Amino acid sequence: MSQSATTYSQNPIHPSSFIPHPSNCVLHVHDLHKHYGRVAAVRGIDFTVQQGEIFGLIGPDGAGKTTTFHILGGVLEATAGEVQVLGQPARDARLKIGYLTQQFSLYLDLSLDENLRYVAGLREVDAQIFQERRRKYLQLMSLDWFSDRLAGQLSGGMKQKLALCCALVSQPELLLLDEPTTGVDPVSRREFWDVLAALAAEGVTVVVATPYLDEAERCDRVALMYDGQIQEIGTPAELKRNLGLHRLEVHTPDLASAERILTSAPSTHLIDTQTFGDRLDVLVSDPQAGEAQVKQLFAQHNLDLSALESAEPTLENVFVTRLRQQGSAPGFFEFPRARGGQRRATDQIAIYANKLDRRFGEFQAVKNVNIEIRYGEIFGLLGANGAGKTTTIKMLCGLLPASAGDISLGGERGNLRTSELRRRIGYMSQKFTLYDDLTILQNLEFYSGVYGVPRKLRREKIDWVIATCGLEGQENMLTGQLPGGWKQRVAFGSSVMHEPDILFLDEPTSGVDPLARRQFWRLINDFARNGTAILVTTHYLEEAEQCNRMSFMVAGETVLEGSPSQIKAAQPGQLLEVVVTASERHEPNPTQAASNVLKQQMEPWRVSIFADRLHVAINDPAEIDAVRSRLQAAHLTISSIRPIPYSLEDAFIGVVQRTQVKP
Amino acid sequence: MKLFRRLIESRFWVLSVKEISQILRNKQLIFLLVFPPTIQLLIFGLALNPDVQHLKLGVTDYSNTPMSRELISALTANEVFEVKSVTLDEHALGEQVRRGQITAGLVIPPNFNRLLKSDQPAEVQVLIDAVDANTAGIANGYMSQIINQFGRQFMPNVVPPIQTQATILYNPGLVSSWFIVPGVIGLVLNLGSSLVSTAAVVREKDTGTLEQLLMTPAAAWEIILAKVVPLFVLLLGEVILALSVATFIFQVPFRGNIFLYLFFAGLYACVGIGIGFLLATVCRTQQQAILTSFFINLPLIQLSGAIAPVESMPKFFQIFSLANPLRHFVTISRGVLLKGNGLDVLYPEALALFAFAIVLLTISTNKFRTQLS
Repeated sequence: MSQSATTYSQNPIHPSSFIPHPSNCVLHVHDLHKHYGRVAAVRGIDFTVQQGEIFGLIGPDGAGKTTTFHILGGVLEATAGEVQVLGQPARDARLKIGYLTQQFSLYLDLSLDENLRYVAGLREVDAQIFQERRRKYLQLMSLDWFSDRLAGQLSGGMKQKLALCCALVSQPELLLLDEPTTGVDPVSRREFWDVLAALAAEGVTVVVATPYLDEAERCDRVALMYDGQIQEIGTPAELKRNLGLHRLEVHTPDLASAERILTSAPSTHLIDTQTFGDRLDVLVSDPQAGEAQVKQLFAQHNLDLSALESAEPTLENVFVTRLRQQGSAPGFFEFPRARGGQRRATDQIAIYANKLDRRFGEFQAVKNVNIEIRYGEIFGLLGANGAGKTTTIKMLCGLLPASAGDISLGGERGNLRTSELRRRIGYMSQKFTLYDDLTILQNLEFYSGVYGVPRKLRREKIDWVIATCGLEGQENMLTGQLPGGWKQRVAFGSSVMHEPDILFLDEPTSGVDPLARRQFWRLINDFARNGTAILVTTHYLEEAEQCNRMSFMVAGETVLEGSPSQIKAAQPGQLLEVVVTASERHEPNPTQAASNVLKQQMEPWRVSIFADRLHVAINDPAEIDAVRSRLQAAHLTISSIRPIPYSLEDAFIGVVQRTQVKP
Repeated sequence: MKLFRRLIESRFWVLSVKEISQILRNKQLIFLLVFPPTIQLLIFGLALNPDVQHLKLGVTDYSNTPMSRELISALTANEVFEVKSVTLDEHALGEQVRRGQITAGLVIPPNFNRLLKSDQPAEVQVLIDAVDANTAGIANGYMSQIINQFGRQFMPNVVPPIQTQATILYNPGLVSSWFIVPGVIGLVLNLGSSLVSTAAVVREKDTGTLEQLLMTPAAAWEIILAKVVPLFVLLLGEVILALSVATFIFQVPFRGNIFLYLFFAGLYACVGIGIGFLLATVCRTQQQAILTSFFINLPLIQLSGAIAPVESMPKFFQIFSLANPLRHFVTISRGVLLKGNGLDVLYPEALALFAFAIVLLTISTNKFRTQLS
């Protein structure tokens, strides 16, 4: 790394902008470039991170985030530019860096304790200090009960927390986290971020990439990366302010038509319309004029407007709007249907399971699950990591025999493994469904051929997948070189080319950026409209709103089932939304502070951080005063506190936690 | 033409194209099929020499007469023995055997010359280090043979009751590599076919694509066959490479029909692939599969007669080795190469290989579907 100085001087653009870092600057990145052959992955990025900061890196898939992390971690050599970690080149500072990748970097056949001891040994941590830290961090992550358990038996969220523990054992000053919560359920994600906040408060510096923008709101500063460059950098509040727009939350029973009308309306005030969960976010340049216009449009088209509220834009609004301005929103292309949109009678049951059981030895993974999904229906199977969703899917599609119970798939009862039946089924498993050592085109040719898509139709369908994924001209790239989010898109395409009647999607949008996720759901809806029965799992609850029906699984059992509105209506008590701002006493992260205060006196699951606000579940509306006084006692300024209806994510957190708390 | 179009349209074709593209991209695999076999053939053929030569001989010649020196030069004439030390102390000689400085010690008594001259039997003492039992046995054999022959010249009137007239067939020069190399071709083919086919299946399992593959309408036999065919072609290429090494480097004669040989090799490749697939369906990870394949391949090789003749094994293992497909192939390999045998002679082995191939491939196809659960 001694050439870092020379590479720097080779760069004629900023010859004098190098400022020696102040003492509390932990990470300094200057004009960083990385080329893979002729492809430029990172094209000149600059930023500094101060001690104790949580610095977020957000951007679409393939923006160069992972490459940046590789260079920061000293794993990859930069093509040009300079990275200084605590005043040293990244490679020399590796002992001071904790690094966590998307894949669980654990030894799955070792126990939790053995994993920790191994890392400590590797990093030469003194035995006594190790014991102290081990106790401290396991407690912080609430993993202290499981120290004997094999890492492979932990749920996804616990694995990531353990991986973080391992990264912390050597007490790094800088934590590099590359999408640590991908594939982790909403409850565990919040716990994970609470831990990060606690660590940052102790002075650990965190650089984190995440596809969840509500998480990014919890960062001190955020850099929006696009196409190898940083487009914008600042606090979440600054980014939102810079957008210069206001947000209208529009609630209506008919989201799809409302979105279509608002998007296509020629208007100077309505800048952008985005579906978000069960509402529309309409971004307007002027709140009053925009509101009037929305109301007028709704009246004009005889649409029912249940509620309209003016609010600040969210980071997700910023992300989506900025990328749409860049013209990088993935396009929607009509799927070339050979059957001409032949619709099935929607009263027929496509997937049916009755009293499904599955045991692995002593462990009962699935207990007494009933499912009925009709053609044309989108059914969501939701649950925390390890709740038994994937096992259920594998049983339903015949990959795994059930220990007990009846299954019927596409009208077949006994043998779920016939070639005829499988031709009518599409399946996208949780991970790595493509051959990494084949090109994108070879993969698509393979899947279209093996599913028996007639030769003359294959070209058209393959072109559709490539256009949908925005991969024109890159068909001959090796699939293994695609960023994770893109792989997911190609995998989805390859699982629907044969126009399946029944589609199983196991976390299809895991690790996919927000824009591409919207495209995914447009496609899913399109297939459902054409009569496909779809079973989908996801950890993004706001997209789960688009399911017709869903069931929540906890520990292998279905605990709640119904349409999104039924599920939300079934939630007990009242939900409060609390927005706090920093008071005269300087508090860098008032929301986190408020959460910590409330959790001391309430059951922890009742308080969850949603972006820049808190959701607090209370049993009795009268408790609102108690909440207010507690926050005031802690010198936190409440800028608003009000009862709100449950979102699916609130419902999920409540259901999962209440069921788990039960003995 | 119509048949060809139907093949192109078939799922089997799509599956095969995928396998071939994966193989072509896998430089490591091609390397593994070219280098290790060549090197194994060279090492086994050149280094593994069962002939006993240049044995270290210690001599204590108390007689020290032309007659005794003649005996010693008879022993060393054909380079079986080489005189390493000469002492006049038989205790020192014993000590040298004990230290392993010499393999054999010869003590010639002082009256050796006198006894022979007076037509009385003379006795010489031979000490042999039998730590290496095989060498010791052979050394003993040579020693007795040479000394007996030497003794016979003093009794020209005595004619032995039976005289042997041996004709050495198929390998007149008694070149031991001619025996070893055709066997090692079997060994190489066995390792190549089982390891490569295990990798082809376990890799899918490791990366999770197997699950996806099992959800496609492709039948197990289509998936398996599509994996077998490209591997089969590759392995035949490996066999041709091995045969070239055998004929050009070791000058092993090729007396039989090359197509017949390739037919048998193909049959054995199917057996090896069957073993590999079976391993892959039973094992969960690559690591497990490799370790298990060692457990299976080593006994297969040792009981095949590729390196040590089956006939020299205990009776139990001789019978047991009939259940070893490699043994049959090694017999075939030697038969076709050295003796020019055809199907008329080798049909029992051929039938056995057929049976093995069918049983192994059927079991692995059946296991293939159920392996995820």
